[in-house]
Amino acid sequence: MRQDAVRGHLDGLLLAVLEQGPLHGYAIITAVQERSAGALELRTGTIYPALNRLERVGLLRSSWQSVGERRRRCYELTEAGQRTLAGERTAWIEFTTAIGSVLNPAAPPGFAT
Amino acid sequence: MNSAEQRNDPVEDYVTSLESALHGPERARSRLVEEVRDGLTDSVAEHTCRGLPYGRAAAEAVRDFGSAHDLIASCQRELTIAQSRHTARRIAMTAPFLITCWYLVRTADQDGQLPRTAQLTAAHLAGVAVVAALLAAVALAATGTVARRLPTPDRLPRMVGWAGTTASVSMAVAALALATASALATNWPLTALAGVLAAASHGWMAGSVRACRKCARLPVMELTVEQQLPG
Repeated sequence: MRQDAVRGHLDGLLLAVLEQGPLHGYAIITAVQERSAGALELRTGTIYPALNRLERVGLLRSSWQSVGERRRRCYELTEAGQRTLAGERTAWIEFTTAIGSVLNPAAPPGFAT
Repeated sequence: MNSAEQRNDPVEDYVTSLESALHGPERARSRLVEEVRDGLTDSVAEHTCRGLPYGRAAAEAVRDFGSAHDLIASCQRELTIAQSRHTARRIAMTAPFLITCWYLVRTADQDGQLPRTAQLTAAHLAGVAVVAALLAAVALAATGTVARRLPTPDRLPRMVGWAGTTASVSMAVAALALATASALATNWPLTALAGVLAAASHGWMAGSVRACRKCARLPVMELTVEQQLPG
């Protein structure tokens, strides 16, 4: 899937993969790619400033943790991050439902993808 | 890896170009660069596990990361905001300095010996610094939790830089005025102490303010929010 398609949804993707627990930067990239079965092409470098931004606005917090033999900066959701993620999910469902009902009018209401 | 291999290592080249292009608070800058280096190291390890030789694995990892130019733009934007917040905190913290100075001058001038001009200058400088402190508080809010809902204005780092410059110059002028006034005051040690505090706060702020103005001049802050996202 083209990177343009990811534009505007990066924050939601990052918050979603951190819902299960803390991860370091590269593990977050891997989690996004695994969950999308490789369909989402991220320029992996762009997630680091994005993680910084999400931490600055209070949606994530980070701490140094030992991962294997190395110390890594691990990120986790804050309560505000969990609320934002819930909001992103709701907005996404409403959006895909609306687009789906236009693109595929034969589908039953609520069929989005 | 020997030094010759290190010179031709795409990962090292990438990290070095990133490191040399970024400006901002040293701690934030080195943390960002280290995270990128860690990410590239992990990516190279993954490629080598799939059987690629190191050179090709490193080239693949760098390609996956995106161009250094794009990454520099988005990293610099974050560092410019980090520098603005750093400077804004310093500006905001000068308010207690000023209150202490003002209190010391009042205590020293109980017999009304200081010229009216000196008193008015002190009041004006205090006013300037209080306005700068308020602007700094607004900047901290606008780049913190408020930024969840509202985009950070592109000109905000520049505003923080100039507010800091004004506060810093005010502090320098206050230090000179207090040094002169201490020669006229009966209780001169208190006035001199206020002058030393003003000079110290000027020195404490000046470096951060210069760094903030430098970051604000970099062209990356002119990029729109959409351009910050991958693509």
